[in-house]
Amino acid sequence: MAERETSRSIDAAAAAWVAREDRAPLTSDEEAALNAWLRADLRNAGALLRARAVALRSESARALGVGYDPVDFGAVASRPSRRRMLAWGGGLAASVAGAATIGVVLQAPKAHATDRGEVRLVPLEDGSTVMLNTATRVTVKYDGDHREVRLVEGEADFNVVADRRRPFVVEADGRRFVATTGGGFRVRKLKGALLDILVHQGRVELASQAARNGGPVILETNTRLVLSDALSAGSLSVPQAVEPSVVTRDLAWRDGKIAFQGETLAQAAAAFGRYSDIRIVIQDPALAREPVTGLFAANDPVGFGRAVAGVFGVAVEERDGTVIVGAPSAA
Amino acid sequence: MFSFDDEKTRWFMVSVLPHEPALRAWLSRKRAAGIDVDDVIQETYAVLAARETIRDIRHPRAYVFQIAHSIVVRHVRRARVVSIQAAEDLEGFDPADDAASPEQTAVDRDELRRLAKAIAAMPGQTRQAFILRRVHGLPQREIAVRMKLSESTVEKHIGRGVRFLIDWFGHGGKAGSQTSRVVEPEKSALDGRARNQSKH
Repeated sequence: MAERETSRSIDAAAAAWVAREDRAPLTSDEEAALNAWLRADLRNAGALLRARAVALRSESARALGVGYDPVDFGAVASRPSRRRMLAWGGGLAASVAGAATIGVVLQAPKAHATDRGEVRLVPLEDGSTVMLNTATRVTVKYDGDHREVRLVEGEADFNVVADRRRPFVVEADGRRFVATTGGGFRVRKLKGALLDILVHQGRVELASQAARNGGPVILETNTRLVLSDALSAGSLSVPQAVEPSVVTRDLAWRDGKIAFQGETLAQAAAAFGRYSDIRIVIQDPALAREPVTGLFAANDPVGFGRAVAGVFGVAVEERDGTVIVGAPSAA
Repeated sequence: MFSFDDEKTRWFMVSVLPHEPALRAWLSRKRAAGIDVDDVIQETYAVLAARETIRDIRHPRAYVFQIAHSIVVRHVRRARVVSIQAAEDLEGFDPADDAASPEQTAVDRDELRRLAKAIAAMPGQTRQAFILRRVHGLPQREIAVRMKLSESTVEKHIGRGVRFLIDWFGHGGKAGSQTSRVVEPEKSALDGRARNQSKH
């Protein structure tokens, strides 16, 4: 029998197997070798399970978006970071894809935007972050006294570092949300829908509107507020407490996912519409009213359409950027 | 034999992986002579890998701690040299350890940020390959073209990246140098022997 391997070398071997699987499906020879390796030491299977889980966890890095720069997260720049290149300007900046749009805004406010289907984390200079959901635009303005972010359109999740001297303010539709502590909150401003804010950590104050008792409207952790159209004092909205599980579902987009819990298929199809140009059409009105529950990849409307068709036993067809669920079929 | 379906991998990622730093700390406190914490953790996970299904595990954290405890007991018995200290430390399983730590509830929220930091902490070329694979979603073949490396070199970098994350997450996001594990000062004295990992 071979000498007992160290746990370190086992971890290295397990990681190598995961990388091998990630490159291409295993050949039958490789499959046999993997099985032999699994039998060779009691610990190997445990190491492989962990390596696979870690690899799976790293898949959500996709949600960081292509704008992810490790330098923003403490990496030592082995080459000039994208941002520094911009500061140098000139030919260097021009050679960096997508630099032009950012390059012009060295002066505040800075604009950040995502395309349809894109999710991106934008680190701010004070360590706070904004995660932008699909088709979202924000402008950021920092000075000695203020930290202000304007949500022009879309949906963004703010994670705020507390700074007593500089309140963190998010403005949307003329409303001002002030984070009075460090924490996290999500603001959504979509066409044809009411302004929606969800606080998942800390406290947020709605500055531009008084509560019924005359004081400010305060949102505590795990509360949500849907604001009516009118800014008038007569239309007061009251924050509602929400379950942690609802918060988690609401924020699933940060991992590139969409979560449904009993929404109708029609609503689910519409939700996918925010993330891609591919439309999902549910042909049968009765089917469109069926509830759907589950976690889906936001960028895969076709996969969602197939899953739905599979569950309800109807046909699915893809045509000209449209996924038709319940399409008439020969079957 | 072992089953490694996606469901189990996902379950493991969500229900077990976040508890590894706590499990590691707990095992280190046991001070049982001759115990290699990393060995015990791998063996513990192997028990999960060998299970037909994980659906009937209702309290994953408690379950994993229990398995680890029984493995420690077995190791110590096998070593035959049980110091008094070790015997004392093996007394029972402290249920207090099972309470989900407060930071546990915040895991989801910061997960992406942690991942961003972990990737940023990887060594240069590994980091670049890993970002192209996981953030940009390029297949290894294409990464090889872009980085002007052979495919097998890219595969090695991806493997190193996974290896790096195993250490990083297992130690609660505090991987030290690029490839070596962090050895906390108070721990190194205890299991320095095990960490040297002389073949036995």
